[in-house]
Amino acid sequence: MAHTFRGGVHMNEYKITASKPIEKLPVPETVVVPLSQHIGAPCTATVKVGDTVDKGQIIGVVEKGLGCPVHASVSGKVSKIETVITPSGRKVEQIVIENDGEERLLADIRHNGKSIEDITAEECIEAVRLAGISGMGGATFPTYAKISSALGKAKHIIINSAECEPFITANHRLMLEEPKKIIDGLKLLMRVFGIEKGVIAIEDNKMDAVEMLRKTLGDDTSVEVTVMKTKYPQGDERQIIYALTGVELKSGKLPADVGCVIFNSETCYNVYRAVFEGMPLIERIVTVSGNCVKEPKNILAPIGTSISKLIDFCGGFTEAPEKIVLGGPMMGFAQWDINVPVTKGTNAVLALSESFNKKASTPYACLHCGKCVSVCPMHLMPLYLAQHAQNKDFETCEKYNALSCVECGSCAYICPGNVPLVQLIRLAKGVINDKRRAQAAQAPKPEEKKEEKK
Amino acid sequence: MDSNKTLTLSPSPHVKHKNNTQAVMRDVLIALTPAFIWSIVIYGWMAAVLTVLSVALCVFYEFAYQKLTKKPITVSDCSAAITGMLIAFNLPVTTAPWVLIFGCFFAIVIVKQLFGGIGKNIVNPAIAARIFMFVSWPGQLSHFPKGYYNPFVSADAVSSATPLTALKGGAVPETSVLESFFGQIGGSLGEISALLLLAGGAYLIIRRVITWHIPVAFIATVAVFAFFFPQAGVSGLTSMGYHVFSGGLILGAIFMATDYTTSPVTPVGRLIFGVGCGLLTVMIRYLGAYPEGASFAIMIMNLLVWYIDRITMPRVFGQRKEKKAKEGGEAK
Repeated sequence: MAHTFRGGVHMNEYKITASKPIEKLPVPETVVVPLSQHIGAPCTATVKVGDTVDKGQIIGVVEKGLGCPVHASVSGKVSKIETVITPSGRKVEQIVIENDGEERLLADIRHNGKSIEDITAEECIEAVRLAGISGMGGATFPTYAKISSALGKAKHIIINSAECEPFITANHRLMLEEPKKIIDGLKLLMRVFGIEKGVIAIEDNKMDAVEMLRKTLGDDTSVEVTVMKTKYPQGDERQIIYALTGVELKSGKLPADVGCVIFNSETCYNVYRAVFEGMPLIERIVTVSGNCVKEPKNILAPIGTSISKLIDFCGGFTEAPEKIVLGGPMMGFAQWDINVPVTKGTNAVLALSESFNKKASTPYACLHCGKCVSVCPMHLMPLYLAQHAQNKDFETCEKYNALSCVECGSCAYICPGNVPLVQLIRLAKGVINDKRRAQAAQAPKPEEKKEEKK
Repeated sequence: MDSNKTLTLSPSPHVKHKNNTQAVMRDVLIALTPAFIWSIVIYGWMAAVLTVLSVALCVFYEFAYQKLTKKPITVSDCSAAITGMLIAFNLPVTTAPWVLIFGCFFAIVIVKQLFGGIGKNIVNPAIAARIFMFVSWPGQLSHFPKGYYNPFVSADAVSSATPLTALKGGAVPETSVLESFFGQIGGSLGEISALLLLAGGAYLIIRRVITWHIPVAFIATVAVFAFFFPQAGVSGLTSMGYHVFSGGLILGAIFMATDYTTSPVTPVGRLIFGVGCGLLTVMIRYLGAYPEGASFAIMIMNLLVWYIDRITMPRVFGQRKEKKAKEGGEAK
């Protein structure tokens, strides 16, 4: 019996790269490392133009508040530090490094010969913080902060390998190629939290990965590999917790509030590497796919590599794409520039043509068919939220729990009337959040306390 | 590789289900086809004339309205064609074609377009048109021939009372339940074969165009009442058979009560809607002046859809557990 949740959509998986082994990208001539690749405060550069850096060297740190340091992903010379606008509209500073081709690794990075029993929670958290690891499923929440905030609260530890978005196979390949390090990473985290039993949760379209992990575990019963039904958005933290424990996590709460802590499998793998090998997060697996890519691949690419290099490595385009999407097709971000760098949260680069899944171009109209209601994993009524948002009645949106929307896109995916549901609900959420922030600013004390609690 | 081509920026999701309004409507047309063919077999070519005329008029009115009001033309979504088909299905074959000129105008222009077009109308256009024609020209719409009808040779039209009219009058109907199931009775064009309508309904449910809730709740409610309160001294089962298989019940329950725009969006809401339609149908058939009540019942329930949606709003993910946690300490 596979674990699952209510709502969601079954869709064409397009996992065309599932059988393609991870290939290492030839070292790029330049890398562009943004100083903000995570949720929290941006980093400040610790190097100057003209400095020589080693691969793995810290080049930016967060001085105060939540955040992760960033590292040089190649060895070479800092040629530029510039401010650019990201596709999400934020300004971000980035460090450009000209590769000297020597691949000179920082001296501290080597296997330290320790075993899981030798590591204390503090050591682990510090190693993870220094390695700059943030959630690699796309959310990019600093991992050290997740670990320390869940210490003492977590009773269940779950490795999220659902990978429910179409196209993406980065976690799938990692489980097939590095099962031991994922499992050891999980065991390390189990020790840190003092949890006896760990779970690796996988959708049932990746049974080969399930077999591989079970084979690697052998007689070891401390880790359970759990199979979930393939359905989008199973990889959403709330839906994973519900599928495995039956607990519904309220909007605004963290998994730790219900005793759960969840890590993406590539995050877990990098925790292992950070703690035992001293290796910071300077490369990641990126699925390069889509119907415009000549030869879709899974690529291990240094952070900061231009996505155009990845596409070239896949043989270029078969036709000029209409869209370049970073991340999955359901929640990823369309890009205007083909030279944006791979960051810690980039699990996929998709090049999609105009003909891909084109909808009839008749003007959109809600038919009131209720399909959006039946697929919403948060059990909202997207049609009414969108309708009120369109009428600028944001108070009603708030009353009908617009803020619970996780923007998974299931409603807009299924809508036969082609209504831009997510866009409208996002608009409402933005207005509601702005209003709440303004209220919080006006009424200082009690509201501030609330914010801190969060 | 042409990397200079302008890239499109748009919010997620970047994939969409292939299904669109037109495909949904096309499925409904497919589901109606068997009953359409059967109506030609039973009543002859006049059935085809009425249906084609009705579809053509509805599409024309929609096109003309949108052209005149300078709105985008949406006739290609097929929804007007369905309305046309359903209007014809609700008429006896002897209806004079000129009635359709008014009926289709009422459905498309008054009930649908004046309220904002597809997705915005409050009552089902085909139902409203049926009622409009029925009260305006009762003589045209309550004469039900049995079998082949040719307007130029009017002698061979054998008129008969429908089973429901007979029951209401306290008489045992001439036709058997089985005959009404297969469609060898007098009635409106599309309502006569329960079997073919059910087949169409099964197709729509399999294709996930509609869910089972409304038709099952609607039909079951009528069946239960007909079983426990038989008329004219027939047995409970026979009464149930007549009430379910003749009259507009099946056509209404499967094709008209399930109209997206004028039915609720949640499963619970759909059940409430179906039961409500069933109760009103029974009340009208038993207590009202008309032997046939499905259309009126659906139209009345149409008006309540907005309220049903409000009261059946699903519990948002995570909300109940929170209450529990507050009351009884931390949830496990």
